[in-house]
Amino acid sequence: MSLWVDKYRPRSLDDLHYHAGLSARLRSLAASGDFPHMLFYGPSGAGKKTRITCTLRQLFGPGAEKLKIDQRVFMTPTKRKLDVNIVQSNFHIEITPSDVGIYDRVVIQEILKEIAQTQQVDLNARQRFKVVIINEADSLSRDAQAALRRTMEKYMSNMRIILCANSTSKLIAPIKSRCLLMRVAAPNTAEMQTCLQYVAKREKFDLPPEAAEEIIQDANGNLRKALLVLEALKMQSPDLTGPLAIAKPDWETYCNKVADMIVQEQTPSRVMEVRAKFYELLSHCIPPTVILKTVAERVVERVDESLKADVMHWAAIYEVRMRVGSKKIFHLEAWVVKIMSLYKQFVFGFSMDDFEA
Amino acid sequence: MAPTASQTSKSKPAGADIRAFFGGGASQGAKPTPKQTKIGSSQPSQGAARSAAIEIDDDDQPSKSSAVKRKKNNIMISSDEEEEEKRITPPRKKSTPTPRPSASETVKPKEKPKSKQKDNDADKYPTPISKPTKSTPNQSKPSSSKKAVPWKSKATDDDDSLDDDDDVVLTKPSKSSPSTSKHFAKENGTTKKAPRKSRTEDDDDDFIVDDDDEPIRKKPRPSASKAEKSSGAGKKAPRKSKVVDDDEESAEETEDGKKKGKAKAKAKPKAATKGDTKSSAKSTEKLEAKKADAQPSGSSNKVNWAQVKAMKSAGPAAPGSKAIPDGEPNCLAGLSFVFTGELTAFSRDEAVDLAKRYGGRVTGQPSSVTSFVVLGEHAGPAKIKAIEKHGLKTLSEDEFLNLIATRKGVLDAKTKAKMEKEEQKIQEAAKEMEKAERKAEKANASSGSSKPDLKSQLWTVRYAPQTLKEICGNKGQVEKLQSWLHDWSSSLKCGFNKPGKHGTNLYRAILISGPPGIGKTTAAHLAAKAEGFTPIELNASDARSKKLVEAGTNINNTSLDGWMGGGQLTNALGIEITNKSCLIMDEVDGMSAGDRGGVGALNALIKKTKIPIICIANDGGAMKLKPLTGTTFKLPFKKPEAASIRSRILTIAFKEKMKIPANVVDQLVAGAQSDIRQVVNMLSTWKLSSDSMDFDEGKNLAKLNEKYSVMTPFNVINKMLGPYLFSPTARESLSDKMELYFHDHSFVPLFVQENYLKTEPAKLRNFDGPEKQIEHLRLMDRAASSISDGDLVDALIHSPEQHWSLMPLHGVLSAVRPASFIYGMGSGYGGPNAMSFPQWLGQNSKQGKLKRQLGDVQIRMRLKVSGDKPEIRQHYLPALLPRLVKPLIDVGASAVDEVIEVMDEYFITKEEWDTIVELGLDQNKDELILKKISAATKTQLTRKYNASEHPVPFHKAQEFGKVPKKLAGGPAPDLEEAFDLDEDVDDEPETKMDDDSDDISKDKLIKQSKSKGKGKATATTAKGKAKT
Repeated sequence: MSLWVDKYRPRSLDDLHYHAGLSARLRSLAASGDFPHMLFYGPSGAGKKTRITCTLRQLFGPGAEKLKIDQRVFMTPTKRKLDVNIVQSNFHIEITPSDVGIYDRVVIQEILKEIAQTQQVDLNARQRFKVVIINEADSLSRDAQAALRRTMEKYMSNMRIILCANSTSKLIAPIKSRCLLMRVAAPNTAEMQTCLQYVAKREKFDLPPEAAEEIIQDANGNLRKALLVLEALKMQSPDLTGPLAIAKPDWETYCNKVADMIVQEQTPSRVMEVRAKFYELLSHCIPPTVILKTVAERVVERVDESLKADVMHWAAIYEVRMRVGSKKIFHLEAWVVKIMSLYKQFVFGFSMDDFEA
Repeated sequence: MAPTASQTSKSKPAGADIRAFFGGGASQGAKPTPKQTKIGSSQPSQGAARSAAIEIDDDDQPSKSSAVKRKKNNIMISSDEEEEEKRITPPRKKSTPTPRPSASETVKPKEKPKSKQKDNDADKYPTPISKPTKSTPNQSKPSSSKKAVPWKSKATDDDDSLDDDDDVVLTKPSKSSPSTSKHFAKENGTTKKAPRKSRTEDDDDDFIVDDDDEPIRKKPRPSASKAEKSSGAGKKAPRKSKVVDDDEESAEETEDGKKKGKAKAKAKPKAATKGDTKSSAKSTEKLEAKKADAQPSGSSNKVNWAQVKAMKSAGPAAPGSKAIPDGEPNCLAGLSFVFTGELTAFSRDEAVDLAKRYGGRVTGQPSSVTSFVVLGEHAGPAKIKAIEKHGLKTLSEDEFLNLIATRKGVLDAKTKAKMEKEEQKIQEAAKEMEKAERKAEKANASSGSSKPDLKSQLWTVRYAPQTLKEICGNKGQVEKLQSWLHDWSSSLKCGFNKPGKHGTNLYRAILISGPPGIGKTTAAHLAAKAEGFTPIELNASDARSKKLVEAGTNINNTSLDGWMGGGQLTNALGIEITNKSCLIMDEVDGMSAGDRGGVGALNALIKKTKIPIICIANDGGAMKLKPLTGTTFKLPFKKPEAASIRSRILTIAFKEKMKIPANVVDQLVAGAQSDIRQVVNMLSTWKLSSDSMDFDEGKNLAKLNEKYSVMTPFNVINKMLGPYLFSPTARESLSDKMELYFHDHSFVPLFVQENYLKTEPAKLRNFDGPEKQIEHLRLMDRAASSISDGDLVDALIHSPEQHWSLMPLHGVLSAVRPASFIYGMGSGYGGPNAMSFPQWLGQNSKQGKLKRQLGDVQIRMRLKVSGDKPEIRQHYLPALLPRLVKPLIDVGASAVDEVIEVMDEYFITKEEWDTIVELGLDQNKDELILKKISAATKTQLTRKYNASEHPVPFHKAQEFGKVPKKLAGGPAPDLEEAFDLDEDVDDEPETKMDDDSDDISKDKLIKQSKSKGKGKATATTAKGKAKT
């Protein structure tokens, strides 16, 4: 009854459908006995986690798939209690330190040291070391990353670290240099087509290539999304023929509404309405960068050619500011006001000289 | 900025006309003289800088025969003023003597022919270009330029010598420097008189525009335009240069110069048309008539776009550009004013001060008794309505100034009588006081008591009220206190069950609260004395711990020992106790660290006391005084009105032979925030150095003793985004504005961000149509990007490095700068939507809560799903909804099994199911979806889910070794407890799930309340996290 995306997740390196070169390298690394620290990076839905799990299986055998979740409590120096969820098997442990925000350093230090200082007890284990998987490594604070670097060297004999990140840009260089970088690129159209067809075959239905094409278009390199959409579509219209209406997720339609509001009217009251919508999106756990990106893309679609570059230019600027700053809504709103101002001036045919930088 | 600019530009053409008019006609030679005299007369109160000029006038005038009388008058005044000036600002004085002789010398010969024009012309021609054109008709020009030298030199002490010698050209613009110097002077607060001169000029200016201009304009236009053209370049150049910082000063000077020139030109005709002898009443009447004309002409000018642009580039017309006329003292006595809108040359405070200085009364809202409403630009609509309703007279700024200049302090009989009566009263009171004092002295002497001589005591003691009647303000409260004491013994007898007139008699004690210095302690003592009680006072100087309070007051005394012993009874504190004692616990909110348990003991005492107890505190609502809530009657004292203090202070002043006008007293009282004790203290200190106090001194004194108070964010934001803080006439410096941010540095930025879109920016006043919209968006954009900058700085401040030194920058970027763009009418000033509390806080904690819940969902699904939280939210949830929710909507209760199966597949509990629904947006919004599911289905889901066993992915850590708290069925969780025992509440659902098999009966409601408790706890922690 699981969703297809989970049901047909490849379990071993041999089952993977694409990035065959990567799979081969992982296989040989696992076999070599000299397994390095690794950093998997790539866009979401490309298969990073899947590859990590497969590698673990390759390293430790099926035992690595027996997961259990544990919740641990950590005490910060300020006596705050932090709950951290830990997913572990006998051979590895998986943490997401960014769950605890700025206290991620505490988690890193405590857990890593604890694991690093204990040896593998299972004498039957294929490897002498344990593996620590750190999810969302790119949102680790600098302190946490600094805490990581020494540990990575010191406890090499007992432990290997696998970092999983969307991009390496936020990781400090010392970390990157200690890891073997594994780029998991988003699958291309053909690769995704294979995957979709594979799932269709296993589910025993016929997937018309055009439909698959459309889904792939919509998924934009995110295989997870593609599979989820495929399943939703299949539920919607079982024969999958004819024109397909791929339902956009709720947050995307909402973002598009915001974009339309921006283009329709440029007044202070409209900015406040937009602000309310942004708050809604943010509080419902849509990441601000996703909001900005979605809205900006939609706005770009709807404005005149000469404005498109500006819209994206400012979106880029405010995205950076959003990452640097702390209150995302301030920057989102500043961007909206900027776009409104630009748009209004364009409509009234004013020059935009004033807006240089 | 705009209003002032418009004013200058408006008056410019007029000035040009007049200049041309005078310059062109040779026949005008006669007129100048009267004008000059007028100038002299109208500017009696100039500072040193001025006095030089006046002397020049002096010298000139003998040769010209007319208007001598008035002039002399003025000269006298001016010389007085000069002296004063010298006293106040010695450095300036130094520079005056050198240039003066030369100026007067040079001026004398040259001016004789055309002395009248020297002023105008010189002023009008700031640059050399203008010079040639002028020089042909007017010899006076060079003279004027030279004349300007001394002025300038006075104004800017450093530069003068240079200017003198080298550039005649430069000196022309510098002519205006007196006014700039006035600015400086004003800003420094050294000479208030200096600015006045230029003010009067402006007054006169408008005056003339009104009467004479119309004809003048038409006639001399051609010549005027010529002159303007020639001078145009000169004029414009300095204006533009204003933008550049370096040139600013000179530009300002030129502009001022222009103004002055105009003013003088206008002043002349005024003098001519109006005799000196005109009564003030008449002149005001005229003013009012003229005002009507003047205003439209001003507004019509505004439409001109080019002009608006020019105005903008010129920056704000120099505040303080108008001279304040030196009216007779108390010339506004008996009048009440309301100020509304923005004045061009004054800030609101200054204008109010001005009215008060001359004895006027200023109220906030117009009412039927208001004599005049001074209308600035952009007056509030509500006030205008009120004006119409009451048919009030309105004054423009200039008319107001003129009113001051011309009105004699003539009072109608009624007010006069009233004032006299008041004075008499004061004298009587003083006499009485003296009598009482003498009596006390005699008594002292006769009894030979060791009480110190009254004369040697502090004023606050000496002039403390001796009877209840003398207490200023809070009459009703004092009466309540007295009647309570009066009825005390009878209420004691009947066991405090008869409320009495004020409901006070149910209590054994009274808690008086109120700000310091308004007579709480005095009232308590006097009331006790008046009712025959002997007050026993314990205050913060006494230790008042539980033990001491008990011992000192004999709460637990059960023996009759003391009573039987006879003689004088004293308690542990050595105070005599009779059955007519009254305990006054002063400063109970000061019972602090050393007085552990003091308040509790006091409360215990109150419960069984047989004598009245009066507790006194500053803050009646303090947490510390909570125990007293039920046992004491609350008697809040308010700050007395200035009026009720005034006469008392005046009496004291009279008795001390100090000369202090009533308006000064009001000023002091307002400055001390109605703290009578402080006012008396201030006076007694002042008495040491001087016997009289004028308005300015009073103001300074009040300022020195100003109390610092913290404004609430709402007040801060209203002030910040309001139309006055950034208006061109505002006197607040940047640091004053930043100070506002520091009133609450964490909230003010949030308030700014929340509310910055709600104003109608004052900067848009001169725009219309699409330009207005664009400009508005542009201002918003600048404000928003500044706020965005501010957030970056904030992130640095709260980074691990903690750059707290960046706070001023943060203040500017996040609050001051955005406000400087979009300040204006709006919220709090009659605008459509009032300032609101920042949503950010609520939204942020909601985000934190949902994020945490999403985290729970993710970790439960983790065994099946590899995605992180954003992935779950963005892709899984939309995909899961059709399986988890849609069947319930479409099929109903029969789909419950199917749904539960999916939930089990992903280890989702009912709680996570709720979260998933709550995370929906738009068409998946939780309300929409929950509405679609029938109640029966919902209960069915809950029941069935609870009835069956479910796979558990993990157990929470705390579950082991610790007995989880049972919340279900028990009393509702205490909020505080939930806060402390975060985890305990957290893991509750877990336990619940395990227990669920046993108690099927537990329905949804109970679960709901639990999840709420959790929500709270998570919200708070999440908030904490998010903050950092």
